[in-house]
Amino acid sequence: MLQCIFLLSDSGEVMLEKQLTGHRVDRSICAWFWDQIISQGDSLKLVPVIASPTHYLFQVVREGITFLACTQVEMPPLMAIEFLSRVADVLSDYLGSLNEDLIKDNFVIVYELLDEMIDNGFPLTTEPNILREMIAPPNIVSKVLSVVTGNVSNVSNTLPGATASCVPWRKTDLKHTSNEVYVDLVEEMDAIINRDGTLVKCEIYGEVQVNSHLSGLPDLTLSFANPSILNDARFHPCVRLRPWEANQILSFVPPDGEFKLMSYRVKKLKSTPIYVKPQLSSDSGTCRISVLVGIRNDPGKSIDSITVQFQLPPCILSADLSANHGTVNILADKTCSWSIGRIPKDKAPSMAGTMTLETGLERLNVFPTFQVSFRIMGVALSGLQIDKLDLKNLPSRPYKGFRALTRAGEFEVRS
Amino acid sequence: MFSQFGATAESLSKASTMVFRIGTDAHLYDDPDDVSISPLLDSKFDSEKCEALKRLLALIAQGFDVSSYFPQVVKNVASQSLEVKKLVYLYLLHYAEKRPNEALLSINCFQKDLGDPNPLVRARALRTLAGIRLHVIAPIILMAVGKCARDPSVYVRKCAANALSKLHDLRLEEHTASIEEIVGILLNDNSPGVVGAAAASFASVCPNNLSLIGRNYRKLCEILPDVEEWGQIVLVGILLRYVVAKHGLVEGSIMLYSCSLVKYNSEREDLKPRLAMTENPDDVGGEICSEIADVVSRSYLEGPEKYLSRLSCMDKNTSMDISHSTSSKSNDDVKILLQCTSPLLWSHNSAVVLAAAGVHWIMAPKEDVKKIVKPLLFLLRSSNASKYVVLCNIQVFAKAMPSLFVPHFENFFVNSSDSYQVKALKLEILSSIATYSSISAIFLEFQDYIRDQDRRFAADTVAAIGLCSQRLPDVAKTCLEGLLALALSESSNKNGASADEEAVLVQAINSIKTIIKQDPPSHEKVIVSLVRSLDSIWAPAARAMIIWMVGEYNNIGGVISKILPTLFSYLAGRFTLEAAETKLQILNACAKVLLRAKGEDISILKKIAGYLLELAKCDISYDVRDRARIMSNLLSHLIGSPYLEEVQDKPEIKDLSYVLIESIFGGQTKLPSSEPLSYRFYLPGSLSQIVLHAAPGYEPLPEPCSLIYDESCNFSTDVQGIKSPGVGVAHNEPNENDDSEAVSGSLDEENTSDYSSQESMIGSSESGGSYISRSASDVNDNAGPLIHLSDADLIHGNGAEVSEENDPSGSNGADELMSKGALESWLDENSGLNQNSSDISHVRKSLARISIKDIGGLVKPKSYTLLDPANGNGLHVDYIFSSEVSSVSPQLVCLHISFRNCSKEPMSDILLFEGESDRSPDSSDQSVSESSPVSRSEVPTLVPMEEIENLEPGQTMKRILQVRFQHHLLPLKLVLVSNGRKHLVKLRPDIGYFVKPLPMDIEEFSNKESRLPGMFEYTRRCTFTDHISELNDKNESSLVKDNFLLICEKLALKMLSNANLFLVSVEMPVAANLDDLSGLCLRFSGEILSNSMPCLITLTLKGTCSEPLDVSVKINCEETVFGLNLLNRIVNFLAEPTP
Repeated sequence: MLQCIFLLSDSGEVMLEKQLTGHRVDRSICAWFWDQIISQGDSLKLVPVIASPTHYLFQVVREGITFLACTQVEMPPLMAIEFLSRVADVLSDYLGSLNEDLIKDNFVIVYELLDEMIDNGFPLTTEPNILREMIAPPNIVSKVLSVVTGNVSNVSNTLPGATASCVPWRKTDLKHTSNEVYVDLVEEMDAIINRDGTLVKCEIYGEVQVNSHLSGLPDLTLSFANPSILNDARFHPCVRLRPWEANQILSFVPPDGEFKLMSYRVKKLKSTPIYVKPQLSSDSGTCRISVLVGIRNDPGKSIDSITVQFQLPPCILSADLSANHGTVNILADKTCSWSIGRIPKDKAPSMAGTMTLETGLERLNVFPTFQVSFRIMGVALSGLQIDKLDLKNLPSRPYKGFRALTRAGEFEVRS
Repeated sequence: MFSQFGATAESLSKASTMVFRIGTDAHLYDDPDDVSISPLLDSKFDSEKCEALKRLLALIAQGFDVSSYFPQVVKNVASQSLEVKKLVYLYLLHYAEKRPNEALLSINCFQKDLGDPNPLVRARALRTLAGIRLHVIAPIILMAVGKCARDPSVYVRKCAANALSKLHDLRLEEHTASIEEIVGILLNDNSPGVVGAAAASFASVCPNNLSLIGRNYRKLCEILPDVEEWGQIVLVGILLRYVVAKHGLVEGSIMLYSCSLVKYNSEREDLKPRLAMTENPDDVGGEICSEIADVVSRSYLEGPEKYLSRLSCMDKNTSMDISHSTSSKSNDDVKILLQCTSPLLWSHNSAVVLAAAGVHWIMAPKEDVKKIVKPLLFLLRSSNASKYVVLCNIQVFAKAMPSLFVPHFENFFVNSSDSYQVKALKLEILSSIATYSSISAIFLEFQDYIRDQDRRFAADTVAAIGLCSQRLPDVAKTCLEGLLALALSESSNKNGASADEEAVLVQAINSIKTIIKQDPPSHEKVIVSLVRSLDSIWAPAARAMIIWMVGEYNNIGGVISKILPTLFSYLAGRFTLEAAETKLQILNACAKVLLRAKGEDISILKKIAGYLLELAKCDISYDVRDRARIMSNLLSHLIGSPYLEEVQDKPEIKDLSYVLIESIFGGQTKLPSSEPLSYRFYLPGSLSQIVLHAAPGYEPLPEPCSLIYDESCNFSTDVQGIKSPGVGVAHNEPNENDDSEAVSGSLDEENTSDYSSQESMIGSSESGGSYISRSASDVNDNAGPLIHLSDADLIHGNGAEVSEENDPSGSNGADELMSKGALESWLDENSGLNQNSSDISHVRKSLARISIKDIGGLVKPKSYTLLDPANGNGLHVDYIFSSEVSSVSPQLVCLHISFRNCSKEPMSDILLFEGESDRSPDSSDQSVSESSPVSRSEVPTLVPMEEIENLEPGQTMKRILQVRFQHHLLPLKLVLVSNGRKHLVKLRPDIGYFVKPLPMDIEEFSNKESRLPGMFEYTRRCTFTDHISELNDKNESSLVKDNFLLICEKLALKMLSNANLFLVSVEMPVAANLDDLSGLCLRFSGEILSNSMPCLITLTLKGTCSEPLDVSVKINCEETVFGLNLLNRIVNFLAEPTP
């Protein structure tokens, strides 16, 4: 079981420590950890499980904040990692986002949350809805009040009823004036296009996100027109598994507010909506690069927020890149990003330029990989379609809304 | 040129966050010290307290030690504001261990909160109380946990489960049994939330007590999908262990695969000799790698350390005992486990999925294991951190059973966003699952990876190519061509070569080497082309390897031997420029070449060799010098003798050195045919599997079928039906059926709180009244004046409330006495009350009251020695605790001290007085202060004793001493002066005399008792044996006294001789069976000296006269710490036999 949780800023400062068990962990372990980070470079930041001389460390890094947990005994490492990510999720949900200042400014809430979330090193309450009832998130009103009147308690005096019910994710007595439920299909396209321009892998990772504001204890049934295309799926605990196994129908009592009902994968897609064609040629110390972007298969809706990003190889000294559409930026860490936005009707966007190689290097021997991002509103590229949403147990007819969105996930073009 | 953008963006975001800091706790974190905290803590406004506490919390967060505020903070635990409370709890938990004494001050507040109607308050109080972790209060916590385990609120019960492992952390051996009992109760809870937490506490408290699981196995399986995610992770592991221990491994699963294979092979031995798994080329990636599967299963069962060490010293073909196996189809327990863990594979928590996959991996027959593949692969879409852990596990699965992942190779294609560790794992998996059908696609990918910016990764890719071609010999040629091209192109890039660049080249040569090893003759050309490129390959390691290959394979074909002279003269020319590593290989190769050389080359080669050796002898590196010397000696006859053929033709003059050189350099290096696999495998999903050593607390699977005794099968189903409220209080039928009943305290019934149940119990025992039966009158006849059946009881038992003899062991004698109607009316009434009444009440309904009269005279308080004559120059001092009450202060305990002069000379001026400060640092750590610190100063520790002026030899004098003990366990240090000499003596306290008798009648007693329920009531049990010897004596002599009476008397005497109490009543069951004592009940009352709080003690007996009695001691006292300690003392002296 976890013994201690530390929150470290991106400069290695320990912002918070929360001891969880009687076996106290000295914060010198953080110093050891940070020394390792410094000596081994940032690649250690990506190792989630580290065996230090005294403790096993688990780390999850979010927005520069390192969530570090320690234990000395055998425990499922994924449990620690999942828990830390859950903490990160809850915190960024409470604080709006995550950064050093936000955590310092709201350290009391962070402490209170951690105290509710974990007891004796074992997760206690991690359901965000229940946590919200126990500890009120900071909001404008409470901030203003606290300025005007001094302190305002954000600790609830009563135990959320949901802890006792058989649907622990839902408040027991909810009342909304307007009953409404929105179902969003949010899909991410993962694709790998290799050097020859062939599509090596293309799949959709999708989520069914539901935002429900329904009174009472509603019972919802969501069915798809073509559930057979779903390869595999993971569900929110509220989903009853039997109906899914039998008829591939999602039957559930929703939590209040936004939540991820299910996530799914659709594999082996045949094409991508846009193409990105990079070309690099190098000779006698310089390298010419040109990248072409265009629409391959029109999805019927407009594609926007197109960006192409890549890391300049370390052997490149300087780069001079320009595009006929959109803007090209080269950041300090040699990341080059070309934001295109929408593809204009009259011309195909292209970026071209020359890069100077290190002295002594004739030709480029390592090649960058281009990460592409885009967004298409109103369409789910996997082809998944919601058939209908039935609601039972509701006093009045609710408003139902459906939306779909596809964006690029890990969309990579190699050169 | 790149930096300026980043900088502005950063400062912008800083500026924008400044705006949002208003109204937060920012100022507290930034300057927690800028106001003085102490006055704020003492403020009467909650908001100011809050601010102070927040400042303290900020200091804690920043790593400062603010434990000095502890006393001030602890005071605030009594605050009504929940926010203040919560902040205090946060602080308390952080420092409680550092300041145990002050922490104890808060205990009473927690006790109060534990009785709060708000479950959140109860839960927080319990969590904090348990979190304080002090040994002194462990019994209190245990009691509190026991209570909360039956709390109506799910949340509180869940916290109780967590508190159990905190208790266990304190390492309380004496409480292990009761802790495990509560674990059992919680595991049987009907709420999934509680079961999850209970599983976690089971895992930390008693992971090997699998019979506890056995009782509830079915129910646990069924509830598993509803348990909250974190609990699922732990519970899945526990269930797996249980099934393995109970039923053994599953036939056809990966764990028994190698066994069945051995069996299968030996059966078919005569038909087809040894059908090896690797014969069929497509099988390589196909089925199961039997060797690894074997290691995997043995490692899971024994732990890799043990297995590997055994492997090194023993024959490894000790086949696994296949008799410990079961089948998933025929065994219901296995089937239900697999069924119930299947839905978990869809969980949104990665850890749950991995845990469930682990169960299927181990338990499912191998054709069903593929179920876990897709969910596992789906996990790869989660965060980078969990991706790494999942891949570590998939790697093991893929090694042992490549067929699982063969169709899904695309999932392991590398993304540029993957971390290096993830990439490396993916490569390794890819190379172990590649088949002939997928290898081309995989190689295409590898080509892209080689051009990756991360050169370390590129080098790994090259190594992976080597591995693939080793597994799939048909592609070796293609690989070799590719690698060669790569090596040549890499070497051309030498100018910008950094260490990373070199790695790729070295790795490429290394891979080439491994491929060539498989089949050297067909790859001669490759070696030649490598030799040709030696000029451009600069990396010493790469050069060394090429030269090694030349030496090793110098005579496999015609081409190499032809270029040897040229090559070696080239090498000799450059020898001084080479790195040491390369030099050594040149020398080795040279020796090998000489041995095999033929024809006219020999003389040239000899010359070169001689030159090389001379050069090497003067080398800077001592390694090279030594090597050169050894070789020149060994090779002396080759180099020195001009007629090599001659020597070879005459075997008799071959000297030893030739044999040596032949055996060292002559033989082709053999491919290690079957190197023992030294992988380390740990259970899937474990931390040990990630760090690749056994983490503390790691345990391999239990030995199959090691759980022989198991009551579960029969009871697991009917347990759910039985709803018995009594949770092991005084319900002790001899069969185990009862045990399972006892723990199945059902949730629904617990909703009716303990409070009402206590009342009803008292009510029923009172209104039940007593009923005179035959046995009672018998007693009356025999007992003479000591027994007095009160009239009130006779009136009570007027037939309307005839009670039923409900004891299963009792006879039906009582039935004759009551009419059917009466029975029914009683039954009705009782069912109307509460089913939850404890066993004590329902075992016994008809009671007679006995009064034991002249017991006071028989009381003999125990005498303790304060000073024995040996140490005290002949002065003997004894003390007994007196029942008198001090007139000076209620906190003083009276003692009778007797001084006896055992010497031959008179003594004078004997005086006892208080010694130096008895609060040494170590003792104060443990001290529980019974009295508040304020009053401590007012009352003297010792009321001065009247001095004994003269004590003649043999004379005894008595004095009364009034003493205030600091603590009921810590002795008081006194100084005894006699004849002018000082003796240090220790006065040991007895908590039994920290009370004084509180006379009351039975009505008042029950009244008071009903006002002290719940947290203020504790029960313990012990065995009483004192009466046995006397009963035996009595049987021999005449029959004077009744057994019952004798026992009552003995018990009462023992109580009164050891504690200053008032005997309120003795109630005797009117049983048909003369010998059955069950239900005999003695009540005592007392008042705590220091604060006049009443303290009620009830003894309830069970058992028969002639055997040791089971006494359950119940204490009701508002001062819980005191009550518990008194209870422990009572149990101790009751159980210890009187000398």
